[in-house]
Amino acid sequence: MELSIDLTALMLALVVGCLMGTGTYLILRRGQIRLILGLGLFSHAINLLLFGTGPLTRGQPPVIADKANYLDSVAQMADPLPQALILTAIVISFGMTAFIVVLVSRRDALTGSDVLPGEMAPFLNTLDPFDPSESVAQQLLASADEDYDILQYELDEVYDQAEVALPFHENGNNHEEEME
Amino acid sequence: MQLPSSFLTLAVAVPMAFAALMLAFSRWRGVRNIRLQQTLLVTAVTLNLGVALTVLTYTLQGNRIVYQLGLWPAPFGITVVADALTGIMLTSTATLVAVIAPYAFATMDYHRERFGFYPLILFLVMGVNMAFIAGDLFNLYVSFEVMLMSSFVLLTLGGTPNQINGGIRYVLLNLLASLTLLTAAGMAYGTLGTLNFAHLAQRMDEAPLAIRTLLAGLMFIAFGGKAAIFPLFFWLPSSYHTPPPAVTALFGGILTKVGVYTLYRTFPLLFPDLLIQWQTLIFIIAGLTMTIGVLGAFAQPTIRRLLSFHIISQVGYMIMALGVAVTDTRLGLSFGLAAGIIFVVHNMFVKTALMMAGGAVELEMGSGNLSQIGGLVGRQPVLATLFFVAAFSLAGLPPSSGFGGKLSLLQITLGTQNYWIAR
Repeated sequence: MELSIDLTALMLALVVGCLMGTGTYLILRRGQIRLILGLGLFSHAINLLLFGTGPLTRGQPPVIADKANYLDSVAQMADPLPQALILTAIVISFGMTAFIVVLVSRRDALTGSDVLPGEMAPFLNTLDPFDPSESVAQQLLASADEDYDILQYELDEVYDQAEVALPFHENGNNHEEEME
Repeated sequence: MQLPSSFLTLAVAVPMAFAALMLAFSRWRGVRNIRLQQTLLVTAVTLNLGVALTVLTYTLQGNRIVYQLGLWPAPFGITVVADALTGIMLTSTATLVAVIAPYAFATMDYHRERFGFYPLILFLVMGVNMAFIAGDLFNLYVSFEVMLMSSFVLLTLGGTPNQINGGIRYVLLNLLASLTLLTAAGMAYGTLGTLNFAHLAQRMDEAPLAIRTLLAGLMFIAFGGKAAIFPLFFWLPSSYHTPPPAVTALFGGILTKVGVYTLYRTFPLLFPDLLIQWQTLIFIIAGLTMTIGVLGAFAQPTIRRLLSFHIISQVGYMIMALGVAVTDTRLGLSFGLAAGIIFVVHNMFVKTALMMAGGAVELEMGSGNLSQIGGLVGRQPVLATLFFVAAFSLAGLPPSSGFGGKLSLLQITLGTQNYWIAR
């Protein structure tokens, strides 16, 4: 029994370490999709770490069946607090992930690239999305059709090359011309 | 007069209730709904200021407010705590928000108002207030997330390319800081078996040095990331100048100071011995933060970019106060932090004033570019004078609040024989 618990803890530690390492690696890479995946893995790692802060028990839910002798069952059952913490953390990280996905896809629609542009900012599409005129909305919708194909960007690995700006130059300039 | 301890929950309940009201009636009366939202916002910030002032006057008499939510006893339930420092921070924040609200009415565009700008302000206030009164590590994390989530949306509301670009950096680095804080909470629970600050402080004495160092390091990274200290400040100058001026004023005055407040709150309480041990490290970080903040500010082309970068150097001063918070004689505990708190409050007000004035300059002259806005004194003498007064206070010239703040900080630093950082 002792050995099996140690093995569980060891497994948990290894999984947390792997997830955290992979997450950090993905966050440090270029490309926003990897960033999202990395953040997801990182928060999973921390959720598991929280899970490991309680005693690792099996088949002992924190439910008191026998109210008369509850002290015995309390000593053996799983710690409910880490579970509550994880639940809260999962909800929060879910919301955050949803937000950052929207942010990245929004940027994808605006710039036609999922790479952090930095000094390319002047070439960005400067349309005001809250502009009520119809032409702006149509332009944004039209560009979104092409630009939302995230998988293609992943496969092309455009962001690993120096010529990353090329498709996006054309895109940005087109928009500027259309605006004028 | 005895204040019921449940009064403290109003600091969170008031902004939350009014934000919910605004959202519930957000489709009512069509275009004229903005007027309704503005009325609700004014009511909410006034009530919030009232609550904060009550807490401040009550705690300044030497009282402490401790309330157990749901009346669950201390280490198990959720505790909210307020002392004088909490009262000061609550009041400063409430005052700033009450000042920024009319500024936002004047400067905010219709579309952002329709997309929930005003409820978001209240959610931000709710998160900030919650962080000020949180009595345990996990609730601090939750309140940080509430604050961050509303600040994310406020920052990117409008979705212009610059906002989105700055927003992604802001979101990423703040999320990582939050996850670090969550790790610290998990580690604290796993090693010490509690999350309550007071309980943690009790058990910290028995904990081995390795665990204390680990927790302190994680928390320093987490809170320092929010406060924009030296190696973790990159999100701030790339994002703060992108939203409309009212949002920048709100962020510049309040958000980084919440990180500083939590540093002030947790470190002297949980790790007094480590503060002495790490004094040199904290001073090095503070010095680098100050220097890089100022050097970066010099290079900025527009008013709000300059002011955002300058926030970083001011955070350096606040971190310096943390370095002298605890001395060997234990005398520094009150004085070092007191100087830091004076400086934090001074900086909250002055930075917001400058951000608001800078935003007004941008709106008036059509550009915030420093080379294009000459001749402001001729066009708007009052605005120019106001900016000048606030900038004087920021520089710390004698009759202003900045003088008192910097003087007390330097006095305490020199008093503890740390000449090289005081310069």
